[in-house]
Parts: sequence; C-alpha cells; structure tokens
Amino acid sequence: MSPLSNPALEISALSAGYGRFDVIRDVALRVGKGEAVALLGPNGAGKTTVLRAIMSLIKNRRGSIRIGDTDVSDFPPHRVASGYAAIAPEGRRLFTELTVEDNLVLGAFHLRHEKARVAALLASVYELFPVLLNYRQRRSSFLSGGEQQMVAIGRMLMSDPEILLLDEPSIALSPVAVGIVVKALLELRRRGASLLLVEQRVDIATQVCDRLYIMTHGEIVEEMTPDDIRRQGFDIINKYLG
Amino acid sequence: MLQFILSGLAIGSVYGLIGMALAISFYVTRVINFAQGQIMMVAIMITATISSAGYSPWIAVILGLLSSCIVAVLSYVIAVKPILAFNRFSFGWLVSTLGFAVMLENAAAYLWGPTSRPFPAILNGYSIHIANAVLTGQQVLAIAVAIVFAAAFELVRKRTLYGKLGVAVATDPDMASAIGGNTTVVAIAAFAISGLFAGVAGILIGPSTFANPYLGSTYGISGFIAMMIGGGTEKPLSAMFGGLLLGVLANGANALIDSQASDWFPFLVLVIILIVTPRGLFSSGGFSFPRLMRRAR
Ligand SMILES: Nc1ncnc2c1ncn2[C@@H]1O[C@H](COP(=O)(O)OP(=O)(O)O)[C@@H](O)[C@H]1O
Ligand SMILES: [Mg+2]
Repeated sequence: MSPLSNPALEISALSAGYGRFDVIRDVALRVGKGEAVALLGPNGAGKTTVLRAIMSLIKNRRGSIRIGDTDVSDFPPHRVASGYAAIAPEGRRLFTELTVEDNLVLGAFHLRHEKARVAALLASVYELFPVLLNYRQRRSSFLSGGEQQMVAIGRMLMSDPEILLLDEPSIALSPVAVGIVVKALLELRRRGASLLLVEQRVDIATQVCDRLYIMTHGEIVEEMTPDDIRRQGFDIINKYLG
Repeated sequence: MLQFILSGLAIGSVYGLIGMALAISFYVTRVINFAQGQIMMVAIMITATISSAGYSPWIAVILGLLSSCIVAVLSYVIAVKPILAFNRFSFGWLVSTLGFAVMLENAAAYLWGPTSRPFPAILNGYSIHIANAVLTGQQVLAIAVAIVFAAAFELVRKRTLYGKLGVAVATDPDMASAIGGNTTVVAIAAFAISGLFAGVAGILIGPSTFANPYLGSTYGISGFIAMMIGGGTEKPLSAMFGGLLLGVLANGANALIDSQASDWFPFLVLVIILIVTPRGLFSSGGFSFPRLMRRAR
C-alpha cells in the first residue's frame, strides 16, 4: 500500500479514561481520506472521551492513533493540533473574551508564520458562514448559539487539519441553525474533508456520513451504513440509543 | 491633602506592579505565587550588589531585572509545574510557593547577611512641585513606570497574537492546547513577565528601603492586597488600580489616623471591599451600586 492510501484517522486498541478508570476500552475505528464517519451512542457512552483522547487531552491513554502517515499517540495536544486533528468540542468552548475573528485566527496558531495561508483559510471560513462577516469584531460571547457553533467549526477549520472532529454540533440549536450546520458539513465533504462526527441525532448522521459506529458503555458495538438504516428502519439503531 | 494623594499614588504604583506580577502568573495558571515579594527582593539584592561592586547603575538594574525573571521562572519550574502536573486542581502550590519564598529569603540572608546594604540612587535630587505638593524624582519615576508597564501589558494582551493566546489559556487551558498553544511555554512566559514586574517594583522601591533580604514579605502582602481589592484575579490590569488605591488609602491613614495606621488599615479596607464586592472593585463583576443593594436585601 502506498502511504497515500493511508486513512485520515486510524485508531486501534484505544483505552482511555479519567483518574484510574478506563471510560473507553479497546476502541478501533477508521476514517478514510475524504470520508465522513459518525460516532453514535447514548449519553455517557464515551464518545466525547474518544475525541479528547485523539486530541491527546487525556493523559491516561493506551493504544495507537495514526493520523495520515503519522503516529500521534505520544504527541502532546499542541502538536496534535498542529495540522493533524482539530476539534469543534462539546459545548463549543469559544474564547469568550475574544472577538469572533480572534477566535478564528487563534485556530490557525500553528500557521502563524504563514500569513497568506491564514488569510486564505479565513476567507474560506467566511465563505462557508457569511453571516460571521458581520460579527468579526464582536465578542464571541455576544453571539447566538448557532453563530457560536459556526465560530467553533470555523476555528477548527483554521488549522487546516487532516481530520476534523465534531462533538454534537447540532445540540441545543434552533432548527434553522441545525440546517446551516448540516449544510456546512456537506459543503466540507464536497471540499474533500475527512470528518469524525459525534452525534445524537441519527437523521443528521445518516444525512452527512458514509459509515456509522455505535458506541455503548465505552465500547464500539456495531458498524453500519446509512443504507442499512434505510433498508431496515431506525429500529436497528434505536435499540442502542435507548 | 494633595500631598498625601500624590505620594500615595507613588507608593501605590509599586504595590500595583507587585499586584500585577501576582495577577499575571495567576491569570494563566490559577496559582498565587507567594514568593513574588521575595522575587522582588532578589532584584533589589542583585542590583545593589552589582552597583556597589562599581558597575554602572544601569547595568546593575538590567541584571537585577534579569535575575528576578529567572528566579520567577525557576519558581514555576520547581514549585508550580510539578504540583499542577500531579493534579491541576490541588492546592499543593500554597505550600510549595510559600516554601520557595522561605528558601529564597534564607538563601539571601545567608549570602548577604541580615543587615541592609546601600541601593543606587535613581533620579535623586530632582523634585517637582504641583500646586502646594512636592514629589521627588523617584516618586515621579515610579508613577510613570507603572503607567508604562501597565499600558504595555494591556496592549500586548489585547493586540498581539501571543497576548491573545495568553487570554485563551486563561479562559480555557485545555481548549487553548487543542488549538495548538503550548500551555507550559505560555505559563513560563507569564512567570517571566511577572518576575519582570516584581523586579521593576523592586528597583523603584529600592532607593527608599535599601537592600535587605527580609523586605519581600511586606511588599508581597501589599501586592496581594492590591490584587484582591482591585480584582486582579480576573484581569491583571485591575491589580494596578487596586495598588494605586491602596497606596493612597495607606498614606491617608498614616496622615489622618496615626503614623502606624498603614500597618492595619489596608487589611480593614480589604475586608470591607471584599464584603461589598467579592470579585474586587475593578473587575468585570466589580462594584456597582444596584448590585450592592440587591445583596443587602
Ligand atoms: N472529566 C471527567 N472526569 C471523570 N469522569 C468523566 C469526565 N468526563 C466524563 N467522564 C465520564 O466518562 C463517561 C463518558 O463520558 P463522555 O465521553 O462525555 O460520554 P458521551 O460524550 O458519550 O456522552 C461518563 O460516564 C462520564 O461520567
Ligand atoms: Mg459527549
């Protein structure tokens, strides 16, 4: 196999947790280049923990994580964030004291010496979310939930990473805002991005993604495609989500 | 009246600089460095020693400031980082930074002996008259330097990418590392800057206190009060305003109550202010009359 055919993200035998307890055990998953994969599961299943482990934000972690050609298992978070992976986290976690544009520009921190590239990335984020152009100099805490989610997604895109990690981007948003987020995810796919999407809403996951993993109690218990769900109905998945 | 306000502002500038030193390191690490006063003392001792060895006072001052930056970074590496690495939410730093302070003080007393040494005079002999008040050149310098340093800090924090990264680390350290910030490097930078502020305070106060290994704790406490009444735990600049207020109040107490009043009066003020506005006077949740009325009910 040529290195070019390496998947965007390949996780094997990943265990991780807080303190001495493993929240996720023996997780294996793969996201191909240009592929979108959903990670579904009930609250507390460990989905957020998987994303935090990929970003190296959890210390207690075993197993291997490859992003593209690189094994990032032993990288500190700021190195993982330097073009390998980026996250739009649960709860958005914007830097609330800073403006919208400052949040975005900080997302490209590892590219700080490449001014032209940062400018191009910024332009592409504003192209994806034109409404943010009106709020460039506004404190990010003054935005609506949907707009804050756009900033969080934009900040993630600014580091131009190999894999995008999104943690429940649709949660607590109005239907209109959810529509904008879904449209943006589809547009990112069109641009060739690879993404791992944690979702509670099966309809969004099937609309955006090529494959779905189901996680319960810290383990991946099932893998399926949107076609499986269309053919067999939501019941095959709802029994896991409870 | 004008006289004690102006000289209060002068000493308050020094309190404010130490308060900002405490607040800057607290801002990014959530740790109060109880060795800050001793770090200031190191700058004073080194400056005094090099100057009395016959070098130009400017070289002595620069090396003094450099030494306080280095010692501040050491305090992070020795007394803060290992504790936070073990558990970010533990209070072990209370003991470790106090321990570092005791260590510095004893090392200095061992090296230089417990008696005071001369400190190079800076801007001695100048004085300016404002209405019926007189300020010495040193006092004017203290106020000017405090303004410049406080303004420069705010400018860097708000206008530069590295400053904004500092704000990001202060807001959410995990997320700051997830956008590529190296939180350890940011913390080291913050401690170096806080060492600089403490050192500058030392250079400004040195000509009046002379160089003594034991003067750290008094000024450390004044800086701490400045930070707390100003609200510097939220925003380092507020500590400067707290310091200026503290200086004027302490000076006023000395003039109007009795000459020892500045020993206890600031604590009384601190307690009252923290009751009225727990987050400090100049914080974003700072003093507002409606809030006070709501709390009273
Ligand atoms: N910071 C933490 N410290 C300790 N336990 C945690 C922490 N965060 C999450 N957990 C636990 O880990 C489990 C999985 O959480 P999480 O990954 O957030 O689940 P999900 O995102 O699927 O809802 C839960 O049981 C939760 O209680
Ligand atoms: Mg979650």
